[in-house]
Amino acid sequence: MAHSRHAYGAVELSPGRWVSRGVGHALVATVATLLLTAGLAFAQGNPCGTSDNVTLNFYSGGDVNVQNLWQNDILPAYRKACPNVTLNLVFSEHGTGDQLTFDRIAAAKQAGKSSGVDIWETGSLLQNGGEAGLVDKVSADIIPNLSKVDPAVLAQRGGYGVPYRGSSVVLAYDSSQVSNPPTTLQGLFDWIRANPGKFTYNPPDTGGSGDNFVQAVLKTSVDPGDLSTFQTDYQPALESEWDQGWAVLNGLGKDMYQGGFYPKGNAGVLQLLGRGSIAIAPVWSDMALSYLQQGLLPDNVKLEQLDPPFNGGASYVGIIADSPHKAVDYAFLNWLLTPDVQAIVIDKMNGYPGVKWDYVPQDVRTKFAAIAKSYSFGFSSKFDNDLHQQWYQKVAGAKKE
Amino acid sequence: MALPPFVLVVLLIVLPAVDATVFSLGRVPINNAAFNTGMHLVRSTGLTLEVYRQLFASRFFRQDLALTLVVTGVSVVLIVILAYVLALYVRFSEGFLPRVLRQLYLVPMFIPVVIASYALTTFYVDHGLLHALFTHLGLHYGSPIYHQNGIVLGQVWQGIPFAVLLLSSGLDGLAQEQIEAARDAGANALTVFRRIVLPLNVVPLLIVGTFTFIGIMGSFTIPYLIGPNAPQMLAVEMQAHFTSYNQPQPAVAMAVVTFLIAAVAGAFYVWGTARSSRRSA
Repeated sequence: MAHSRHAYGAVELSPGRWVSRGVGHALVATVATLLLTAGLAFAQGNPCGTSDNVTLNFYSGGDVNVQNLWQNDILPAYRKACPNVTLNLVFSEHGTGDQLTFDRIAAAKQAGKSSGVDIWETGSLLQNGGEAGLVDKVSADIIPNLSKVDPAVLAQRGGYGVPYRGSSVVLAYDSSQVSNPPTTLQGLFDWIRANPGKFTYNPPDTGGSGDNFVQAVLKTSVDPGDLSTFQTDYQPALESEWDQGWAVLNGLGKDMYQGGFYPKGNAGVLQLLGRGSIAIAPVWSDMALSYLQQGLLPDNVKLEQLDPPFNGGASYVGIIADSPHKAVDYAFLNWLLTPDVQAIVIDKMNGYPGVKWDYVPQDVRTKFAAIAKSYSFGFSSKFDNDLHQQWYQKVAGAKKE
Repeated sequence: MALPPFVLVVLLIVLPAVDATVFSLGRVPINNAAFNTGMHLVRSTGLTLEVYRQLFASRFFRQDLALTLVVTGVSVVLIVILAYVLALYVRFSEGFLPRVLRQLYLVPMFIPVVIASYALTTFYVDHGLLHALFTHLGLHYGSPIYHQNGIVLGQVWQGIPFAVLLLSSGLDGLAQEQIEAARDAGANALTVFRRIVLPLNVVPLLIVGTFTFIGIMGSFTIPYLIGPNAPQMLAVEMQAHFTSYNQPQPAVAMAVVTFLIAAVAGAFYVWGTARSSRRSA
């Protein structure tokens, strides 16, 4: 279906796929060996990982904005930084070729041949590949700048990739209608009740912004001790902890836009906001900022992050286990996390940095001050599937309270 | 000569349909990843109606089914009436207006349904074009978009060209002499219609009714884009179960229910055409 629940920049955000499982011992051993190699490279002080002429095959996929980011901005900058390293970008639009790439890497391993892929940006396949021994685990020992990345973000993919950019759901509000936007979820509920018809979100199965809003509400009644189970595991019995959250959402129904209409998709909500039909809504930060840039949203629409924040997620680049140029891979990924490159990512993608906001240049941080915070993580995909159905039963199709 | 198409139908339609039906009866195939990774599966060694029992026990499914049947019924009646009136008008009148109409009623056929749905939404939605016009005239406006009436509106728009084409081809076969003879014998327009025109149109009407019914029963785009959040028409609900809820089993069971209802309509059609061909023989 076209109604992607993922962020505009093709940031993969199906949280359940981030479930971390055990790592094979063999892999740990491999990582340890590689660690040495990398340490050597950095010790030698070559920021490019090599002084020879090397070509890296970089497979990536996503929307055209991701392709432009690599082709027009990041790769030309790297050519300046490391003229001896050539990056051969193989781009798959919307990631349609990703399964094929995965199969190819798996087949190469089986045949004991080289896959010809050095580094790979993709979604949940990175972790699947990691668990199958096709993708290396990364850590700050081999890529020093990973120490600037929130460990929780790294753990979301099981450590099988470098998160170099992200996106989060934030609150968008029409400043011509709202002068004092709510800063907490409870404050938002109060605002909705006081301003009936001026808020809505999309059904959780039609887009991540509505999904993450619903999750944020359900989380308020979840036992904090069970939160990590909700994020990484599946135990249907725990879903009774959502009841209070469902009651809140159902109770808010009559104060939604048109007494309970939920437009389909992330874009549907942004359109209502753009028309001034609603005044506040949860949106993807990168999507809303791009809309603002293109004039699809008027200037009076502002973004802010709640406290505690809504959920978000990152895009990861992983290292293929059979890459013959590991030191060069590490150097490139390390460079990706440097402040200047992160600033490019934020600027071009309207995204979140891969590193913590503290490591982003001050002027960029100031520009995005209202949303420059960390994000929370969503429910696992199985919980999310149940959530989708229960939303239709307990909110959209429920008798209004 | 009939063998290749027959084999193709068996391979591509009958076998998967049987597979799916057996799955909905509790036998989960091990080799089908889409089916056996589903959530909340009913697994049984024998065949069981448990999935159907759960489905019909659910208030939400019953509401979906009711919505589907009401929307389909109302749309079919409206389409048949409107299309028949249009076809009769175009057939029996002359001049500029019928000539223009003859082209106009084909327009929806050339507009992809996604675009038509979007256009209907922009036109009829709250704060849309029609709303602005009503407000200007000081009238109250209640938008049909995102309600079941909106789905009917979309279906009628989409269904008219096919219906008119089929019905007018039936009318074109009507001998002008026959009608004139009846008129000469003193029959008025209503009698001509009842005794000559309508009997000759029973089969086309039946075809239009059946195909429109089956088409609307299983339609996805219009109810998805124009329909309410809940309840939803069955095709939308099937898709939601299959992809959003990862529950392929109830999705397949709903497909089986939809198919059975469509089969009843199909049987009605077969019975009707057989009866009329016996009569004419």
